[in-house]
Amino acid sequence: MLLQLNKIFKWVNVGGSRTFLLRDINLTVQQGEFISIMGPSGSGKSTLLHIIGMLDDADEGEYVFADQNVFKLKEKQRSQLYKQHIGFVFQAYHLIDELTVYENIETPLIYQDMKGSERKAVVADILDRFGIVGKKDLFPSQLSGGQQQLVGIARALASNPKVILADEPTGNLNSKQGEEIMELFKKLNKEDGVTIIQVTHSEKNASYGSRTIHLLDGRVDQIVNS
Amino acid sequence: MLRNYFKTAWKNLVSNKVYSIINISGLSIGLACCMLIILYNKDEVSFDRFHENAENIYRIVNTSYAEDGKAEGFNAVTGMMPGPSFKRSVPEVKDFVRVQEQDFTVKIGTKIFDQKAIYVDDNFFNVFSFPLISGNKTNALRDIYSVVLNEETAKKFFGASLSAMGRVIELPTGKEGAFENFTVTGIVPQSPQNSSIKLQMVLPIKLNMRSGLADNQWINFYLNTFVVLRPGADIKNVADKFRQVYKREAAEQIKEIKEKYDMKSTFEYGLQPLLDIHLSTKFAAMNGLQDGSNPIYSKILGGIAFFMLLIASINFINLTVARSLKRAKEIGVRKVVGGGRKQLIIQFLGESFILSFFSFVLAILLVLLVMPLFNSLSNKMLSFSYLLDTTLIAGYIALFVVTSLLAGFYPAIVLSGFNPVQTLYNRMPLSDKNYLSKGLVVLQFTLTTFLIIGTITIYLQFNYLANFNLGYNDKNLVAVATDQMKAGKVELFRQQLLQDPAINSVAVKNRWNWNTGAKVDGNDISFRIQVVDSSYFPVLQIPIVKGRNFSSAFPSDSTQSVLVNEAFVRKAGWKDISGKQVDFFYDSLKYNVIGVVKDYHYASLMEKIKPELFIMHPKYDYGLLLIKIKPANTSATLQHIEKVFKALMPFIPYQYDFKDAQNIRQYAAEEKWKQIILFAAILTIFISCIGLFGLATLAAEKRTKEIGIRKVLGASVASIAGTLSNSFVKLVLIAALIAFPAANFAIKKWMENYPYQVEINLWIFLFAGFVVLVIALATVSFQAIKAALANPVKSLRTE
Repeated sequence: MLLQLNKIFKWVNVGGSRTFLLRDINLTVQQGEFISIMGPSGSGKSTLLHIIGMLDDADEGEYVFADQNVFKLKEKQRSQLYKQHIGFVFQAYHLIDELTVYENIETPLIYQDMKGSERKAVVADILDRFGIVGKKDLFPSQLSGGQQQLVGIARALASNPKVILADEPTGNLNSKQGEEIMELFKKLNKEDGVTIIQVTHSEKNASYGSRTIHLLDGRVDQIVNS
Repeated sequence: MLRNYFKTAWKNLVSNKVYSIINISGLSIGLACCMLIILYNKDEVSFDRFHENAENIYRIVNTSYAEDGKAEGFNAVTGMMPGPSFKRSVPEVKDFVRVQEQDFTVKIGTKIFDQKAIYVDDNFFNVFSFPLISGNKTNALRDIYSVVLNEETAKKFFGASLSAMGRVIELPTGKEGAFENFTVTGIVPQSPQNSSIKLQMVLPIKLNMRSGLADNQWINFYLNTFVVLRPGADIKNVADKFRQVYKREAAEQIKEIKEKYDMKSTFEYGLQPLLDIHLSTKFAAMNGLQDGSNPIYSKILGGIAFFMLLIASINFINLTVARSLKRAKEIGVRKVVGGGRKQLIIQFLGESFILSFFSFVLAILLVLLVMPLFNSLSNKMLSFSYLLDTTLIAGYIALFVVTSLLAGFYPAIVLSGFNPVQTLYNRMPLSDKNYLSKGLVVLQFTLTTFLIIGTITIYLQFNYLANFNLGYNDKNLVAVATDQMKAGKVELFRQQLLQDPAINSVAVKNRWNWNTGAKVDGNDISFRIQVVDSSYFPVLQIPIVKGRNFSSAFPSDSTQSVLVNEAFVRKAGWKDISGKQVDFFYDSLKYNVIGVVKDYHYASLMEKIKPELFIMHPKYDYGLLLIKIKPANTSATLQHIEKVFKALMPFIPYQYDFKDAQNIRQYAAEEKWKQIILFAAILTIFISCIGLFGLATLAAEKRTKEIGIRKVLGASVASIAGTLSNSFVKLVLIAALIAFPAANFAIKKWMENYPYQVEINLWIFLFAGFVVLVIALATVSFQAIKAALANPVKSLRTE
């Protein structure tokens, strides 16, 4: 078991009343799974992803990641856990505009206090795997959307995480680019054993996964195994 | 890791040129001001420290107390007596050296020079660490006819300093001004700029003491006496011993003086450390000691520099925080890929350090650039070599670190605290409730308004003093200082001068002013004495309000009559002057008061009009010609005056001055401060406004969407520009309201220095507020109008 969510609740107080973003979410994810989260706008998909990604806290419930109770960890330990095991991919890529492709991929390694020579080797390896060696000195604005997302995934993988969390990774891409990205995820999942959890609107993208969780109004509506 | 931080910081600087320029230019101006002031202060406190013995050298000073025990006079100088007496009787006094200033006419062959000199005891070069280029420090002044010159003076006299040793100069030190020969026995280099004693020409003080002129009076104050104490001597103890010696040795003299002059004051001798002299306002540098300063200048300049740096740092803080919205995404990404808060804080601090570093380098260049201007404003001779000093370098590094932290810390804390989910999903709260940022803007503009009001006030006060109705006509009045002369010589001058039809009339008066006392109606009165003749009042156009002028029709006027001014009459409490007499009891002379002149300001306006008495008794000498000339063709007239002067006084250097120009020069300090504060105000406005410009730019960017929506809904350009400018204008108004009372308080304090004050109206404050408002509005509206003119389709589509 990689991670487990038990009775997760999250809400916001608007005016006098409480609006629930997530209600009673229970979820267990095994190492090597490929999970898709679907649901209409406002159903709580991204919120769920952020909680899994430790970017956000739940108001109630328990979250166990790699045998550690996440909500009870100190900031430092949690940050350590997060740095080592989680990679994020965004719809809007979120590369740092001022840095080159190479530097963007290097950034997470810097925050892990990896040595310079080691970093060089890791980044070179990833650039090679993704076939973007020739683009390493370009800035994000010089790349197409698909290429930017490629860099985004490369960056997420740089620290060799156990799980990649992707929030509508193909949302800004045309169908061909999107397909390539999904193929890449599939390959990473199959060949490298990387756990992938993605939020998506597209049935087609969801079908790449082994399991699809449908959310509605903050609840798990149904879980479909493919 | 550091390389990566540096890279991002650098790229951020380059890709946001406007902000970088605003921050760097503002910070570098602030830093440059601070550096200059540090230099200035360093120079101020370093005065006289170069003497090896500085810690053990003291000056003998004297305080006089009135009958009621209140200190009434502070004498930084003494007579000849105290030095030798104290050395004889107080074992802690190892040595003494006296320093007295005198102006000389120097003759070398047929050439005549006017030269400042000091008389000193012959151990002078052993006590003070002035090196000699040639000559021996122990016996250079042993011979009574020896003289030591500095290089510059030697060059002036002989064309070259090296060949001056052993050459002869003539000085009018003999009987009745006869010239005597003096041999150059030593050459000294130019004295350091931070020395109270600046050597030009040095003579043995023995010269001044021969011919029975030896002064044995304790109550006599005209020269500096320095004593060298044994190391570790207790100052209090020594001062006590001084008092006892004085009590014992001066008792006889004091009794005599008390009886003769009806003196009521008592005197007390004390010690002042050599190192305190430069900045002392009580016992100032005088009579051979120069460049005394007032510590208030250091404080005012320091305050200005600090404010300047503060304003620049505020720009940095405000702009960085305001710009953080644009950087929110970067911060979010860094956090998502694993950046901890600490790492981010280090990164942002690093950026502020890099920025400060550029500002720092630029500031050093600025300092070098403006050094000559600053020197002329502050009466200093600072140079770049001053910067190369370990304590100064340490001070500058401290300044650099403090600035970087001051400016960088708050933004680093704020920026690193962003929640990545909010920043990455455009859910940043766009609240406008940044009170800190607003408060800082208010602070900036409060200072700006304050300085503008200060500038206007100093300017008005200066003009007021410069255009003050002095009560006499100083236009076209040439003042020529002469040797001491009696009425006969004055007549000779007058006749020859008046041969030029361009010269209207010639008045004469004493050269040095002094105060004295006498009795009127049996009571003591003190007043300034003016030695004049009957020409004085008509030439200066001073009206006689009662009685009459001196007149040749009354031959007894010269020995029995005086005129007084209105202040004198007020002080004496007279209603009428008929039959009134002034009794100079100690000379056993009585004078009849024959007339009263209207009060006029011959002295500086820094003092109230004092009681004055005008006398033409032949026992007093004249020493200043006041020549009224026709305004046309002044140069020919001046040539005529010079010709007459050279014929009648061949051994006195000729110097003339226009009285009105001389009067204006009395306010040189005000003129300087006017310029300094004006510079400070302009720089402050500049730094504040570039900051405001940056903030306005960011505010407009932040509200792009809102502006777009408003335009789509039909808002006019003017109304949008108004909305955007409004919030800033409000801040400036608040700033003005805070600055008004503060400035009012400061003005009142400053004006206390002036007996004659320009009236400060409310309009000065309103005008200053208006100026700041207009400048701020112009700065802000540029951005506001630009934003309002933008195409809404574009701005809405970017969302």
